[in-house]
Amino acid sequence: MRGRFALSRLGPIFGGFYMTACYVFIFLPVVVLVLFSFQGGNLPVPPFNGPSLRWYQAAFADGRLVDGFVNSLMVGGVSSALSVLIGFLGAYGIARYDFPGKGAMQAVIILPLAVSYLLIGMGLLVSASALGLGPSLWIVTAGHVVINMPLAFAICLAQLGEHQRRVEAAARDLGASTFRVLFSITAPMIAPALIAAFCLCFTFSWDETLIALLNTRFEVTLPVVILSLLRGGVNAETNAAGSFIFLCSILLMIVVELLLLRQRRR
Amino acid sequence: MEPRSLARNLALRLTIAGLMGAALPLGVVSGAQAQGSLNVLTWCDHEDPTLLQPFEAANGVKINYKDISSTAQILAVLGQSKPGDWDVVVMDQTDTGRLAKMGLLAPLDAKDYPFADIPAEIANPKLSSFEGKLYTVPEKFGYNTVAFDKTAVSEGAMSDIQAPWDPKYKDRVAVYDYYVPEIQYVALALGKDPTAISDADLPAIKEKLAALKANAAMVGDVTPVQQALATGAVDILVGGGEWVTAGMAKDKPNLDYIIPKQGGIRWQQGLGVFAGSNNKSMATKFIQYILSPEGQGKLATSSCYWGMPANNKAVLTPEQKKILRWDDQPGYIKVSYPYLQMTPEMDQKLQALWAQVMQGK
Amino acid sequence: MSDEAIAPSAGSEVESRAQVKARLAGLAFTLPAVGWILLFFAAPLAIMAAYSLMPLDSEGKPGPLSLAGYRAFFAESAYTAALWNSAVTTAVVVVVSTLLAYPFAYGIANILPRRWQRLALAMAILPFWTSYVVRSYAWLLALSPVGVINNLLLALHIVEHPLRLAYNPQATELGFVHFFIMLNALTIYANLVQINPHYALAARDLGASAWRCFLAVTLPLSIPGVAVGAFLTIVLCIGDFVTPQILGGFRGLLLPQVVMMQIQRQLNLPMASVMSLVLTLVVAIAYLGMQRWLRMARL
Repeated sequence: MRGRFALSRLGPIFGGFYMTACYVFIFLPVVVLVLFSFQGGNLPVPPFNGPSLRWYQAAFADGRLVDGFVNSLMVGGVSSALSVLIGFLGAYGIARYDFPGKGAMQAVIILPLAVSYLLIGMGLLVSASALGLGPSLWIVTAGHVVINMPLAFAICLAQLGEHQRRVEAAARDLGASTFRVLFSITAPMIAPALIAAFCLCFTFSWDETLIALLNTRFEVTLPVVILSLLRGGVNAETNAAGSFIFLCSILLMIVVELLLLRQRRR
Repeated sequence: MEPRSLARNLALRLTIAGLMGAALPLGVVSGAQAQGSLNVLTWCDHEDPTLLQPFEAANGVKINYKDISSTAQILAVLGQSKPGDWDVVVMDQTDTGRLAKMGLLAPLDAKDYPFADIPAEIANPKLSSFEGKLYTVPEKFGYNTVAFDKTAVSEGAMSDIQAPWDPKYKDRVAVYDYYVPEIQYVALALGKDPTAISDADLPAIKEKLAALKANAAMVGDVTPVQQALATGAVDILVGGGEWVTAGMAKDKPNLDYIIPKQGGIRWQQGLGVFAGSNNKSMATKFIQYILSPEGQGKLATSSCYWGMPANNKAVLTPEQKKILRWDDQPGYIKVSYPYLQMTPEMDQKLQALWAQVMQGK
Repeated sequence: MSDEAIAPSAGSEVESRAQVKARLAGLAFTLPAVGWILLFFAAPLAIMAAYSLMPLDSEGKPGPLSLAGYRAFFAESAYTAALWNSAVTTAVVVVVSTLLAYPFAYGIANILPRRWQRLALAMAILPFWTSYVVRSYAWLLALSPVGVINNLLLALHIVEHPLRLAYNPQATELGFVHFFIMLNALTIYANLVQINPHYALAARDLGASAWRCFLAVTLPLSIPGVAVGAFLTIVLCIGDFVTPQILGGFRGLLLPQVVMMQIQRQLNLPMASVMSLVLTLVVAIAYLGMQRWLRMARL
């Protein structure tokens, strides 16, 4: 008995200590990044020379960064929307219907999850080269759908359970067409999952570097711009760009949370 | 929870998102096509907005550039491109003959450029011309010798070319990742003439280079090695020169470079126009802009790396000239060797040698 | 209840037409997804495999169909060394990040009250919403001799001179572990919260100590979450180019770096294809080894 008591006392203490250590580790580079984005001098390393906004000014004035930001937004938005749409439809087909080759099709859809981005990016590069197509953001978008759609598919599939099936059957009994059922009943019922899938897909697309690096030339996404920024000199402009992205992400998360919370309260 | 209103909400939100998503590409694409563009293959020192924007504004053109860090990379990019994809090239001038022979460069008219203001050694026709025609215009030069942290190693020790191989500096050395000057520097350390490397020299060079890599902590491109030296991760940079130290002179006055008593290697960049370019007149204007005193001043103090401008009328403050060691240049030029002018076969051999040493353990 | 909810089974002509219609509907829903994967993934892969079988000859032109590219890959010690480095680095990263992530996920799932769990997860994910490239670069600065870690060590008098922490395989592993702790914590957490708490309660009622309960009940039930996290780590880590490029220092190149060199410097797409396919083979072998646990995982 005494052993159990001591353990249950110490457990949370050690646990709390360990978790704090983990959080410190996780946040360390971000704190360094944000701190030195306000660096007064040139080099983003100690000593810290008083807060200054010059690197943020440089980042906003840098046309490449702004272009990259917009391109990343576009590619992320379009590829995520496509991924969620196609993934949802596919999950619906697998979950509600039975047809020959169903298992094989599901395996094909999930397959890209098991393959590294390098292979996907290289495949697209080699194919475009073989077909005489130049590098372009559309190829990157297609590649991002390849990596994200299986995720959206899996998330939707996990959510399309028995509960929705019964409501759908009832709606169909009342005369609703398949599409009506799909968009008026099923989609809203799993709306949180759809939103979560969209956000996840967007996060992955936003940060994806390799497929974008291989398949773009002048119109590039933000990670590629930052990679080339790093090649272009030792200064804190990258810090400012990274901190700004971080800030945007926090704001986005707050907006999504508010949207979701508002939905729930209704 | 009413499914219908939720559905309508969701549908509305998705539609708006979709429309925005569709509208943005149209906006961006049409914006980009409104101006003409000039596609430039260049080293990273031509990427500063302060350098490019005056030209872009004055000529209503957008400059698209792609970063390269060797002539081999230029050829690789050209191999992946169609003719007309690229207009201007910034390259090591020693490769002018090779690219001109391959028919990649368009002949230029010397009258268009301020050759009167360029020192004779830099304007050497051997570097800029091929078969009597001008193909590239010199724009910037500097040295690949050894840069170091004055507070960590002594200048006296670094004046011997063999210093980076010394075991007492193990893991404190960085090697600049450009095979041409590094192999030449190694050849110099072996006592050979770095402008006359033959096949017979290669095995000895490979061994000496491997020994250097074994003594080094890292091998990196322009920015990583600058950073390593700046943060004190390494104390010695083989292949370094003012291009590493000058830009950081204010923040890091402890960084210096020296041409060893055995000599050093000199890099020199030139601007050329691609034969397949559809924009040759704009390309020429760009070269003239870079060669102008204002352009030369900004190029010399580029945020990626500094270097000596070819045009001695370049607009620089006395402090900047001091950092660049303006007055010492004639002496430096005399004791340094230019890059190797290679045949394509020799280029392949040197690249293979470099890859073998760098990828091996 | 099976998935045949739409079509009734008995065999009148109207019903079998409904069955056919149902099957077509199912196909129609699934076809976009499958079609996309086939068009933008499977077909490019096939083209890449074809490229890998047509290696460049000495002139730089693609040659006839042959396995010469693969032979060249395995014959070149530098390439096999890169493959080995990739495998070893990935293995180390998987083990370390799983070991570190498990207590973290366990803490969030079992020690924190329910209300705070989502916030705790969000806080753990938040730092990864900076750009991946910038994060690796920030680690480089943090590890540099004038960076925060060395400053801390010097301030605490643990060392006399700054340590050279960056530009080696350990720095690369650190960069990887930083990301994959979060990923594994997510998958393990998702699994832990699905475990029916009654199992643990029953075990305790039967007299098991907290430790025994964990080892015999919680741990085995959480293996699928660990397996999914480990597999995702393997896939993402082995193909990654950015972290080793920024933190690795060219000591012990990893295979993705060699692939990028083939593309960017030597323009040898066939050899790059060979390398990418070999990398995929390693992942496939890992999958076969982990299949048993992965199948248990519910996505």
